[in-house]
Amino acid sequence: MKVSKSAKAFRLLIAGAFAASVTVLPISGGFAAGETLGAKCTNEGESTGTFSTSLVCAKNSAGRLVWTKVKLSASNLKPRAALRAPRGSIEFWHWRAEDKAVFDQIISDFEDLNPGAKVTQVISNSSDYTATALQKARTNKKAALFTTFRGSQFNQAATAGFYTDLTNEQFTKRNVIKSMMGAGQYEGKQLGIPLQSLFNDPIYNIEIFKKEGWKLPKKFSEWISYCKTAKAAGYTPMAWMGAFRPQAGQIINSALMNTASTDAKLTEQILAIDSGKDAITVKWFKDMAEKYADLRDAGCFPDNPKGVTEAAGNTLFATGKSPILPTGSFSMGGIIKLEPKMSGNMGITGMNWTEDVNARYTGITNNTFILGVNKNAGRTEQKIARAFLSYLLTGPVATLYANGTKQHVTVLDVSYTDENLRNTASIMSERLVLAPRFIFLNQGVRDILEDALIAIVGGESVDKALTDGAALIKQKLG
Amino acid sequence: MSKTETGARKGASPRPKNKLARANDRTLLLMTLPALLLYSIFYLYPTISNLRYSLSKWDGFGVPEFVGLRNFRKLVTDDDIFNKVLSNNIEFTFLVVIFQTALSLIFAIFLLKNSRGSTFLRTLYFFPTIISSVSVAMVWQFLYEPNLGPINVFLNSIGLDFLALNWLGSETITLRAIAFTQVWFHTGQMMVVYIAGLQQIPAELYEAAEVDGASRWQQFKSVTWPMALPTTAVVMAYTTIQSFRAFDLVYAMTQGGPNNSSSILVTLIYLTAFNEFRFGYAATQSIFLVIFILALTALQRRILRTRY
Repeated sequence: MKVSKSAKAFRLLIAGAFAASVTVLPISGGFAAGETLGAKCTNEGESTGTFSTSLVCAKNSAGRLVWTKVKLSASNLKPRAALRAPRGSIEFWHWRAEDKAVFDQIISDFEDLNPGAKVTQVISNSSDYTATALQKARTNKKAALFTTFRGSQFNQAATAGFYTDLTNEQFTKRNVIKSMMGAGQYEGKQLGIPLQSLFNDPIYNIEIFKKEGWKLPKKFSEWISYCKTAKAAGYTPMAWMGAFRPQAGQIINSALMNTASTDAKLTEQILAIDSGKDAITVKWFKDMAEKYADLRDAGCFPDNPKGVTEAAGNTLFATGKSPILPTGSFSMGGIIKLEPKMSGNMGITGMNWTEDVNARYTGITNNTFILGVNKNAGRTEQKIARAFLSYLLTGPVATLYANGTKQHVTVLDVSYTDENLRNTASIMSERLVLAPRFIFLNQGVRDILEDALIAIVGGESVDKALTDGAALIKQKLG
Repeated sequence: MSKTETGARKGASPRPKNKLARANDRTLLLMTLPALLLYSIFYLYPTISNLRYSLSKWDGFGVPEFVGLRNFRKLVTDDDIFNKVLSNNIEFTFLVVIFQTALSLIFAIFLLKNSRGSTFLRTLYFFPTIISSVSVAMVWQFLYEPNLGPINVFLNSIGLDFLALNWLGSETITLRAIAFTQVWFHTGQMMVVYIAGLQQIPAELYEAAEVDGASRWQQFKSVTWPMALPTTAVVMAYTTIQSFRAFDLVYAMTQGGPNNSSSILVTLIYLTAFNEFRFGYAATQSIFLVIFILALTALQRRILRTRY
């Protein structure tokens, strides 16, 4: 058949348009709400999503920031489909009761795809999980899939040889964001897959900030000003919950993040305290503690801060009495349960404790809920656990998990359809550091130093709080 | 008496059991075995293991490392947190034992008669006992909240703001606030024990006292109190042990904070073992706890000069 020149040109045009659409659409499909293709790349590390085709703002060879299609996974290959599970049953041990319904749905789908395979959730609350559940799971052949927190708990389980090595699994190489896997690595091996990507940064009430015409503070003096302004307007500037150490201690992440010039130095100085080489009266820590006193003096914290429970802190924020909840993205689900109207009304922002708006880091992230396959489980059980893990690490399943539980995840090809996840995705444009609070490996030491900081917020002098704390740490490590 | 009979008595050897009796003995012995086995598994073995762990450094995962008496030495000579917690526990126990015993005795005396009103009030006072301790803790945590809690809101509204304290956030008040909750929680239970004890006192004693012209107070001092001493001993011993075991209440309300000011020995042991993963040292602390409770109970028995 003879084709005219104009028809040929038309066909070429159609082919070109099709090629362009299949190339560009998946990229824009991975964008967070409000982002557009061609938006200026100004924040190094900003990412348009977790798709394998997503763009990341990175420096080119000339040192200029440009949108770059980088390899998010450890390989150039597409994410892999889930493994098939043999017949049998396993237990999946974790501490997130709030995720049970979503996991039930995921497990049901997995069991439909793998006839004869059965997964049962065994859930304890987080303190019981640390206390006893992990011990029980260790000697339970059915407890094939289990989770740990980043830091001391993961390290302890890794040291005890609790994990099977997942380094060479295809899902490790192809299905997850490589840069978020550090929390599950031990002595060069990928022993666990951190599923969640959390942001331990303050959440703010979008409506109040809009109504009052406030701008988000970008440096420490702006935080002080914000506190004074918010207090004068009748708000509790930050719904900080001093009676509950795990949440009261979240802002220590932001406080720590720029206390050293390099990551190595930051780790070194934290471990020096952790091991007793340095006391918490050391200059850098004292300087940081002084800033707690500055925030206290500016009226940032609630009245009677040491007596504010987690429930009271959440209530202050959910009822609009406080515009900022200084915990993290993981609190959003609870806030929405408390006050459904807060859905879509929460943003997240970094807390820069320096005067430099271009400080090394402006926000915190954490990769946790580390999934591991129990080395002490039976062989068949381990196979089922790997299959279920690989299933969790596929895009559609991780999308279901992320939107259902309001958690960002470390899995590739995930779409955040939940408005709260989209609103808080903006934090990804901050310069994020992996939560330094978890560099402390000795829980006893961390508790004492956090108690000292809580005491400062409660009105104790910096010198006394740190001296008392230092003495207790010395005894603890002695 | 024949020689044979005398010889048999001198030898004093028991009469040999017949086959049936021996079989009965064996059966009885066998019947205790399941209980003995359970006791050995769930009490004896953990107790012996605890002794072993107390002499070791162990993180709960790896192999325990034998350290001799180092944990005991550290506990006695170089652990300010332990000392503080021990002193908290003594104060907590003292407050709870005194107030709980006194209040339950007072309530029991007033509600001794089986009238309809008394029965209603007994039920009302006993009611907290049937609530789970964590629920009690949550309710009181809410009541004690310093800024939004009903107690302070009420005190502020009637102008008594100087009494609106930081109930669970002050290092000087928190322990007492929890002790009050513990007393509220268990007074009804002890009141029932007292009522049972007081109902055993013969009515003739009161009649005789009345004939002698004894006042109400004299009747209490000379009849009720001495006759109620065995019950008091039981109530005090039980309350003491109960206050040492108030883990759920303390942990759910404050986790021992702020700054260990409300921590008691059981919460400290738990945190040492399961938060810090120092199982060996926690085992040492628990041995101290057992010895301490034994000593305290013996002291109470001595003071009350009674056997129960």
